[in-house]
Amino acid sequence: MSALGSLPQVLFSGIAAGSVYALIALAMVTIYRTTEVLNFAQGDMAMMSTYVALALLVAGGLPFFGALLLALVFAAALGAFAEFALLRRAKEPSVLGLIIITLGLEMIVFGFASWKWGGEPRDMPIPLSPTDVVVVGGVIMSHLELATIAIAATTIAALFLFLNRSKAGLAMRAAQQNRAVARLMGIRVRRVEMGAWALAAVIGGIAGLLVGPAATVEPYMMWDPMMKGFAAAVLGGMTSLAGAALGGAIIGIVENLFGFYVSTAFKSVVPFAAILLMLAIKPSGLLARHYVKKV
Amino acid sequence: MLKKLGNIAALAAGLFALAAPVAAAELTGVTDTEIHIGQWGPQTGPAAPWGSVARGTGMLFQMINDAGGIHGRKIVYHMFDDQYNPAKTVAGVKELVEKAPGVFGFASGVGTSPGLAVKDYLMERGIPWVGPAAGSLHWITPPQKALFSLYPLYADEAKLLVRQLVEKEGKKKIAILHASDEYGENGHRGAVQEMQRLGLKPVAEVPVNQADRDLKSHVLLLKESGADAVLMWVNPTHAVITLKTAAALQFAPQWATSSTLSDAPLMQTISGGLWKNILFASFSELPDADTPQMKQYREAFAKYAQKGERWGVFFMAGIGFVEPMVEGLRRAGRNLTRESFIAAMETIRNYKGILGTVNFGPGQRQGAKEIFLARTDDSGTKITQLTPWAEVK
Amino acid sequence: MDMKRSYYEDLRLFDTLPLGLWLVAATVALAAAPFLLGNYVLYVLGYIAINVIVAIGLNVLVGYTGQISLGHAGFFAIGAYATVLLANVGLPILLALPLAALIAAAFGFLLGLPALRLEGPYLAVVTLGFGLAVENIFAKASVFGGATGPAVPGFGVTFLPGFSREQNLYVLIVATAGLSLLAVRNLIRTRVGRAFIAIRDSDVAASCAGVDLTWYKTLAFAVSAFFTGLAGGLFAFHLGQVDPTSFNLMLSILFLAMVVIGGVGSILGPVLGAVAISLLNLKLKGLKMADFEQIPLAGPDIAAFLGRHFMETGMANIQFIVYGTILVLIMLFEPLGLYGLWIRGKRYWRTWPF
Repeated sequence: MSALGSLPQVLFSGIAAGSVYALIALAMVTIYRTTEVLNFAQGDMAMMSTYVALALLVAGGLPFFGALLLALVFAAALGAFAEFALLRRAKEPSVLGLIIITLGLEMIVFGFASWKWGGEPRDMPIPLSPTDVVVVGGVIMSHLELATIAIAATTIAALFLFLNRSKAGLAMRAAQQNRAVARLMGIRVRRVEMGAWALAAVIGGIAGLLVGPAATVEPYMMWDPMMKGFAAAVLGGMTSLAGAALGGAIIGIVENLFGFYVSTAFKSVVPFAAILLMLAIKPSGLLARHYVKKV
Repeated sequence: MLKKLGNIAALAAGLFALAAPVAAAELTGVTDTEIHIGQWGPQTGPAAPWGSVARGTGMLFQMINDAGGIHGRKIVYHMFDDQYNPAKTVAGVKELVEKAPGVFGFASGVGTSPGLAVKDYLMERGIPWVGPAAGSLHWITPPQKALFSLYPLYADEAKLLVRQLVEKEGKKKIAILHASDEYGENGHRGAVQEMQRLGLKPVAEVPVNQADRDLKSHVLLLKESGADAVLMWVNPTHAVITLKTAAALQFAPQWATSSTLSDAPLMQTISGGLWKNILFASFSELPDADTPQMKQYREAFAKYAQKGERWGVFFMAGIGFVEPMVEGLRRAGRNLTRESFIAAMETIRNYKGILGTVNFGPGQRQGAKEIFLARTDDSGTKITQLTPWAEVK
Repeated sequence: MDMKRSYYEDLRLFDTLPLGLWLVAATVALAAAPFLLGNYVLYVLGYIAINVIVAIGLNVLVGYTGQISLGHAGFFAIGAYATVLLANVGLPILLALPLAALIAAAFGFLLGLPALRLEGPYLAVVTLGFGLAVENIFAKASVFGGATGPAVPGFGVTFLPGFSREQNLYVLIVATAGLSLLAVRNLIRTRVGRAFIAIRDSDVAASCAGVDLTWYKTLAFAVSAFFTGLAGGLFAFHLGQVDPTSFNLMLSILFLAMVVIGGVGSILGPVLGAVAISLLNLKLKGLKMADFEQIPLAGPDIAAFLGRHFMETGMANIQFIVYGTILVLIMLFEPLGLYGLWIRGKRYWRTWPF
């Protein structure tokens, strides 16, 4: 096969990788557009949920979908608890202070998971095999990759409908735009914020459950996806769902193209160079309106 | 006025408190009943899976103490977690050395950069250090009086693997997948050198970053190169991702790996059963080897090991890298000083523990050079030793 | 009581006499340290002082100018590499250090350019990418020594005859930290410092008032990078080694945590934060089973419970839980960080015992 002949394969790989980034980005956007918090614990909360699923599967002996569902319930509870116990308690929080709180949360979650399950990598057995494949027009697609793309697409669509068409979604947007007015309109802002955290943790948890079987389950499994996911969210404009999805896909494709055609050594840096260029042209991201704070 | 006086008084008190602890006589870490030995090892952080090296050493010392110690002295083992962060290694090492009763010496210790950060400090003070757990040339260039290296060089493993692939298995197109750190670079360099000697060139050289979790472009590059054998010089997680991605992309070369991935039972488990027919190098006995010594260690493991511990190559390495130190302490006798210990270490010849044969001598500081090759079978569980223990020339 | 009543009060080096006395005491104690204390304590003090330099530098950017950076490990790395490489080509170390800091400042200036139009998460991502790129380039390029970094030359500076390498190095590091502190304190009280603060409070308003945003924002980045690079150069000698992978995102996050935990936008805050985080870094250790067994009443039961449900080999990770909890608690109860606690403590004692 010539180098150019591999292009469809590389693009497909990029989209599969980008789907995971898009999910993490969606999770971060969900929290950011409701509470204006950058949640740096998103990745490790997802890691923890993945470990819970693994424990239920292996030690608990639960059937696959049961374990998955319970793990996502756990993720929701963890997200809601984090908002309720930590973020809500902050007195006169500054943006930086909130970031440090999420970093502290990240350390707590990370420490707990590594204490409970140890640092050694583990295998996550799931029915979606990473090695069984479908071949379409010369492009090899594993079942897991196909599922990843399909699940990401479904989640994005569902989230889009939920946030833009349902009352709860509207309440989330209202909470971000003006807390005081939202409360006057009868929206229970705190409950909405807790809901956003729970929802985001579930989306992140899905990403974790897709990353685990493709590699190994270990405490550091979500660091790289988390960083790229954050970058994807920013690339898309931090408040836009479609932007987050697009950002994830762009980062996945750019890094795979660069990795294959130029060099794998700088593969993980290149998406950031692309973002720098993009933000130099459009400082508020791809799909968000520029907004200048008034005096 | 009163406030001012109070401040001056506090100032004086502070100065007095600072002046009190003045460093006393030199601490050697040896008392009538105890020998204090230190080790750093990443118990947390990205390198945490390597933490079992330091715990393996702990088990060896526990066995020795329970059998009565060495010449009437028990070993007191000070292991600390440095997270593979040199700044923490230096702090921990200096604290152990300078706080009474000090330490006699250091056993093993994972990592090139943590080790490099403390090397000069230890050597300037003549503090013995045996068996750093990293295959680096830095330990023996130039040879240091108090530093005894045991880890066979990564480059030697790579050479032996290339020789096997080319001469015994008739592979012509060899690609290299390597971590972009010192470990990966050394393996990479060794393999390229050996290929040059054999008149070959690698068909692809693909570096992997520590943080990467998506290796599709890497594996695709290997596949496009048409390689019939791939040398893997990466960490266990990257090896698993590589094998899964390769299986999906229907790429099935002969995989050959460094001793870091020689823990076949672990690799078979975490790769979900893909660790089949893998050629690998090893510098220690295989975990299920049938020698009396290994049986003894496995029994001890059943007795002493903590929950969560696994009998694997890293844990065993913590034993193997320190056995010669114990032998040196025995040979140094009851009158133990750093000088007598170093002299005793230099008498160690043809010592066989769970590493290859160990030879030290005056000016000779690389003790173990022997390695061997082995291969997992098609079920991934049975391991066959392919070559005898031998030094790579 | 903290009000400034005349211009000359604003110009004074110390606000109050007790503060001055305490500073003198601290200076005397730090100056006496190399004569009295062992190598280990000097190492820890040096480590803290290096972090203090970074924290006050980063605070110029984060605390006074209101920008965020997740990439300061990059400037730290540039400082370390530049110092070592310059010293390796024969430059005296005392010249190499400030030169390397200037190189870091130049990179700070460059990073400041895209930052002109960015804020919040956008700036966070750009600086994060910068740190990542620096780490990667240093680790990959063989001119920089590849994966193990360049060899660090001997530290040939002697302040007092008979001083060891560690003692000489300590003097240099602590003196640099002291001078940096003084420099930043004075910088903030100049026209430049007031421009920084105006930008933090509202860049639109500042620009209306005639503050040149382009110049001052990039200047803030450059000043901040200068001090971070200076600290990086000192760190290379302090550790005797340059390891490219240690200049990672985690380090940038720790730097940021020092400033925020200490209290943004004050002089004392970052110093307190740097001391606290440095000590947590070096001193925090995981617990052992035996520690749990010693809990009164239910000790053995707790240990048995933990033994059943947790990995004994993973107990070292308890330090992350402690670390994270400390960060969260400080931010929850005192948004101004340790500096806020200090202010509150001062108010409480001012009227004591009434």
